[in-house]
Amino acid sequence: MVCLRNLLRRKARTTLCIAGIALAVMSTVTITATTTSYTTAIRGMNTLFTGDILVVSKSQIVLQALPISGGNLIETIEEEVKGIPEVEATVPLLFVFSTELRGTLEMVPINITVGTPPGNWTVLTGSTPLRAGGKWPSMNAVDEIVIGSCLADVHDIAVNSTIKIKGHDLTVRGVLDTRSAILGRTIIMPLKTAQEIYHYPMTVSMIVVKPEEGVNVEEVADRIEGKLNNPVERIKALTSDQRNSLIDPLLDEVNMWNLGISIVFFVTSVTIVTLVAMINVSERRRDFATLDALGASFTSKVLMVLTEIGFIGLLGSVIGIFLGVIATVIIISFYTYIPIQMVFFDIFSAVPPLLLAETVIYMVTASCVAGLIPAITVARTSIADILKAEY
Amino acid sequence: MEIKTVNLTKVYRLGSSMITAVNKVNFEVDEAKFIAVVGPSGSGKTTLLNLIGLNDYPTSGEIFIDDKDASLLSGSERRKIRLLRMGFVFQTFNLMPTLNALENVELPMALAGKPQREQREKALRLLGAVGLGKRLFHRPKELSMGEMQRVAIARALANNPEIIIADEPTGELDSKTAEEIISLLFEINRKEKTAVIVATHDEKIVRLADAIYTIQDGELRLKG
Repeated sequence: MVCLRNLLRRKARTTLCIAGIALAVMSTVTITATTTSYTTAIRGMNTLFTGDILVVSKSQIVLQALPISGGNLIETIEEEVKGIPEVEATVPLLFVFSTELRGTLEMVPINITVGTPPGNWTVLTGSTPLRAGGKWPSMNAVDEIVIGSCLADVHDIAVNSTIKIKGHDLTVRGVLDTRSAILGRTIIMPLKTAQEIYHYPMTVSMIVVKPEEGVNVEEVADRIEGKLNNPVERIKALTSDQRNSLIDPLLDEVNMWNLGISIVFFVTSVTIVTLVAMINVSERRRDFATLDALGASFTSKVLMVLTEIGFIGLLGSVIGIFLGVIATVIIISFYTYIPIQMVFFDIFSAVPPLLLAETVIYMVTASCVAGLIPAITVARTSIADILKAEY
Repeated sequence: MEIKTVNLTKVYRLGSSMITAVNKVNFEVDEAKFIAVVGPSGSGKTTLLNLIGLNDYPTSGEIFIDDKDASLLSGSERRKIRLLRMGFVFQTFNLMPTLNALENVELPMALAGKPQREQREKALRLLGAVGLGKRLFHRPKELSMGEMQRVAIARALANNPEIIIADEPTGELDSKTAEEIISLLFEINRKEKTAVIVATHDEKIVRLADAIYTIQDGELRLKG
């Protein structure tokens, strides 16, 4: 009671201290959660093509499984790849990024259009289901598409509605029921339709190669490169490991920076707590000396200070987590174009409960540790010391 | 409670010089006595009371509490004696600024682990007895100096002490209020049979005390 009353007595200082901790926690949570979300999303891109070989143009930059920049391939290459004995199946894909949609879609969202021959949808979507009422386009359909849930929600597109893309009317046959940042913004359509709409005749961005079971994937990739590379068409065949090796060092570095920044914020907040604890107890030496004269135990005096500091740490970290979660949701929503309410539904995948619990525990513990020396110092003050100093 | 000191000495180091605040004091407090210790500022009154109240350690000499050498007591035992057998009244009241009058009086009982209900009942009774029955929920800054000292006296009585040690209890008060506080301390001494040791300049206290000691340069003498 004495502790909490004292916090209220110094409202401005208590508020500033709590705000300082809240800010540090918010920054830590936001940075950790957003970078973790991004690294998870980037790593997650590779999961659908795990074990597969991606054949792309030599100049193509592949971010995990997405060909983000560079030249395309001539569609007929697929036949040559198929001709390699260890290759079980191939799927050509055409990726078109940041397409401007018009018609029913009034906004200009960032999205990914993927063209693939009908029947090969699951190469992209895995086991992702369609929302109720939806179905995959028929094998010979040319104007039927499937879109991600994010696009459907943002633009209020229902199953069987028609949208217009670059003058082409397309019927939405299904909506992917997914919270994936990538699939949620994806428009999947037949390869021929995509080539026609976006003017990429006979062109694909990549060919997904599924090697036969038991074969050495590295050797198959080498064989593909050996067979297909010629002065006219320069390609590269990337295995999962090769794709990961491109991005993993970068992601590891991001995580290191993330850890470093978190430590800086953590140390800053502990320093704030220590300083405030020092100031608080030095002002109240007389009170603690009086408690000593009245017969308060050393432990009870130390606990008084630690309770105050712990309370500041707890309140600061809870507020910081709340703000951090909001900031994370806004940042993720802003950069992924996923509506805020959808990010909120899936908040615990972006901001894991374990991270939140750890943050509270660390901050309260750190606050108590930071307050320990001031607490012990003031608990040793006797009334004789105070009166001696006064007289 | 009987308190006896034998050649009690306290020396402070002040820079390179040594100051003898209490010099070979032999002193005895019997049960239910009202004792005044009189001396000018810096004569060693407060130091003597701190030593007797087990708030400080002597440089040499002994303090006996009921014939038990206080130097042999552990910190915890000294603390329990202060908590349960002694009551302290300070010149500057030393009330907890964040607690109201009622909570300030409850504090020693809370430290002694007494039940909340008992704390509340006793605190109400004590504050009523010192005339603050209508100022229960006022914080120290909302009380006059006389009222604060009354709260401090009520707090000193909270755990039914055998002795009250009051260091200049009227030092901060005007003469009328000082008289009221003195009367209160006498009343407690007479009614509750609680021994009272008061360090003071106040002549009224001196006149009414059972024993008067003077202290000068740390040396204590019985005056009457």
